[in-house]
Amino acid sequence: MSHVLDPEYYDHACGQIGRRMVEEVMAEIRALGDRCVAQRPDALIIVADDHLNAFSFNAVPALCVRIGTHVDRMVQEEAEAFDRALEGMPLRYPLHESLAGAILERGIREGFDLAFSWEAPLDHAFLSPANTMYGTRALPPLVPIWVNCFVAPQPTAARCFALGQHIARVVAASPWNVAIIGTGGLSHFPQLSLARVGETDTVFDRRVLHWLGEGEYEPLCALSADELDKAGEHELLNWIVVAGAVTPARAELRYFGELPRINLTAVEWRLV
Amino acid sequence: MSRYAVNSLLYRLKKDSAYRARFLSEPEAALADVDLTPEERKAFLARDARRINELGGYLHLVMSVPGIAGH
Repeated sequence: MSHVLDPEYYDHACGQIGRRMVEEVMAEIRALGDRCVAQRPDALIIVADDHLNAFSFNAVPALCVRIGTHVDRMVQEEAEAFDRALEGMPLRYPLHESLAGAILERGIREGFDLAFSWEAPLDHAFLSPANTMYGTRALPPLVPIWVNCFVAPQPTAARCFALGQHIARVVAASPWNVAIIGTGGLSHFPQLSLARVGETDTVFDRRVLHWLGEGEYEPLCALSADELDKAGEHELLNWIVVAGAVTPARAELRYFGELPRINLTAVEWRLV
Repeated sequence: MSRYAVNSLLYRLKKDSAYRARFLSEPEAALADVDLTPEERKAFLARDARRINELGGYLHLVMSVPGIAGH
């Protein structure tokens, strides 16, 4: 569960300390990947956000599940650094069509009307963490789920948690062994202000990590859009979906590194 | 309305390389038909990423349009 980045980029943005921390958190995520592989998941759900790559102002889904048989990696000329880091990764990935379909269809029947897409491609928010976890091993069939973390008005923290609970009900009723990850940094980009890039709110992050570690999900669900925006904690919504899926499990902290530009964190919930 | 105009322009600049090339070589002509306020137009002509962001341009767009802002 972390924003996985290119160490070269962080060498540039945050100097040697940034590079070292990115390498450390990536080592933790690789270890987390080894434990995930050992469980032989039939499917890997990835909860992440769009950076105005997959969706446009044509439509901004609050919560969207990717259906179909396969998904492509986003390819873009002059891509930004995070997405250039994907260039050596496979271009196409299988989807777990049955699980994605069950999440969508049972959701629609039970009042969780997710948006769905057959075409949206995956950017770094999905593929960097998954490929770091799996390395050269083939990824299991994926179920990508987008949360609108950036284009206001975003879904509420409580709604994201409820989506996780919905996913857990679908998985519990299925024959599949399923892993789920949520991606995105903790505090960065407060108020989405370019002038404030470089600021983080470490106190806020530590409070969030405390709640995750203690399984205190009520205050997490009570976080307002304004609080998340002020702390630059937009992408926490992805984590909250995962927290809803694994509740009442408690998170184990694997890494926390403070950088001027973004705080890097890896946490793990073990359910087996 | 203005926010939408700013962001849809940023999105076009990000995704449409031919339009972006025209914007970089003939900015006034490229923006002529775009519905912007004078303040927004000035910010785009100056390629002032911070100002575009202050005027409602999404951070992830202003940070990812080549030629507007490197990061």
